[in-house]
Amino acid sequence: MTRRVGIITAVSAVIFIVVFDWLLGTPPDPYRAPDPMAFGSNSGASGAICSFAPGAEE
Amino acid sequence: MVTRTSLVIILLLTLAIIAGVRFSLLLGLGITIGFILERYGFGFAGPWRRLIRDRDAQGITAQLIAIGLTALAIQPLIAYAPGTLIGAIAPVSFTMIIAAAVFGLSMQMILGCGSGTLVNAGSGNLLALAALPFFCLGSFLGSLLIPFAIQSTPHIPLSLTKLLGVEQSVVITLAGLLIIGLVVRGFSQGSIWNRRFLTAAILLAALAILHVLIAGQPWGVVYGLGLWAAKAAQGIGWDPNTAQFWVHPINASALKGSILTDTTSLTNIGLVMGAAVAAWIDSVNRPFEQPIAIWYYLIAALFGLLLGISSRLAFGCNVGGLFSGIASGSVHGWAWLVAGFIGSIAGVYLRDKLWLLASREAK
Repeated sequence: MTRRVGIITAVSAVIFIVVFDWLLGTPPDPYRAPDPMAFGSNSGASGAICSFAPGAEE
Repeated sequence: MVTRTSLVIILLLTLAIIAGVRFSLLLGLGITIGFILERYGFGFAGPWRRLIRDRDAQGITAQLIAIGLTALAIQPLIAYAPGTLIGAIAPVSFTMIIAAAVFGLSMQMILGCGSGTLVNAGSGNLLALAALPFFCLGSFLGSLLIPFAIQSTPHIPLSLTKLLGVEQSVVITLAGLLIIGLVVRGFSQGSIWNRRFLTAAILLAALAILHVLIAGQPWGVVYGLGLWAAKAAQGIGWDPNTAQFWVHPINASALKGSILTDTTSLTNIGLVMGAAVAAWIDSVNRPFEQPIAIWYYLIAALFGLLLGISSRLAFGCNVGGLFSGIASGSVHGWAWLVAGFIGSIAGVYLRDKLWLLASREAK
């Protein structure tokens, strides 16, 4: 077997995650989409970020 | 290549229609970053390993340049648009430092950091494929531990831009990176310059700056991985209201929404796909199985789990904590760098010993 098997596995896993989330969760709503760029708009960062530490903000 | 490019363009256009242009741009950014990291052989775990083992500082010099260029742009940008743009500012604490050291060790064991594990998986690497699901699980478990860590030890967020102002923060960040560069140069046995890595570093910095402009926040990896596992746990009956971390409105909103509208999820998906596009042609000439004993895959799974737990407790991996933290002016990024490197030294030696055993047993 070649690495191509691994690539197909990885991409299939990603597709599975997206489909699973689409079926069981809330699908995206393009009418509620933020502006294309946060910079210069009123719709800024979501705040869902790795450095987010609830309870230690201050 | 034309077919793969066409597929990517169709995918991005579809996402723009079904979710929104911002999310399509973020996926496109992730794909480009994944492509560059794979095509240029650029990353974080590998260059640290080469510095520790071979006194080769070419990769780490390029990393420092990438972080410096990003800092030069994003610190003033974030200060110019407070509220709209935010930095990767996180607390420094005892648990954060220990976690960064554990991450440094773990990333050497599987030769893949936060971005590296995704890129390696996307390029078909079996060890990374074994580690990635456990990385996601660990990131979720780590999110459950964050409130306990914050309550049990002092967590102090320190932002250089808030403490000193933007100009001084940028100067101190660049001076710190320069000092590390000089130390590394003194330790290095050969030239510290490598045109391929420098090209990758400049491209990566440009993409990291674009990420802040589009998403409003710096590039990260582990938040998305934990979110995927949290969604899976929810699917099998886990109640997020029982977890302090996931009750917070920002996290609850991410959990309720689609991963196609979550910033780190989109760039993570992009990293896998970009690496897959870059590795596709050569992949027919590379073997899938690695010449090691089966038990090393269990080691990869174990250290994948540790990567996830530690990166949540360290408030980011090498991307969200180290790269974006330092570039944003967060002191936790510097603490991450020191602790992660110490952990990596132990990881390089442990990995070499175990890899040798696993290779011998496979023969």
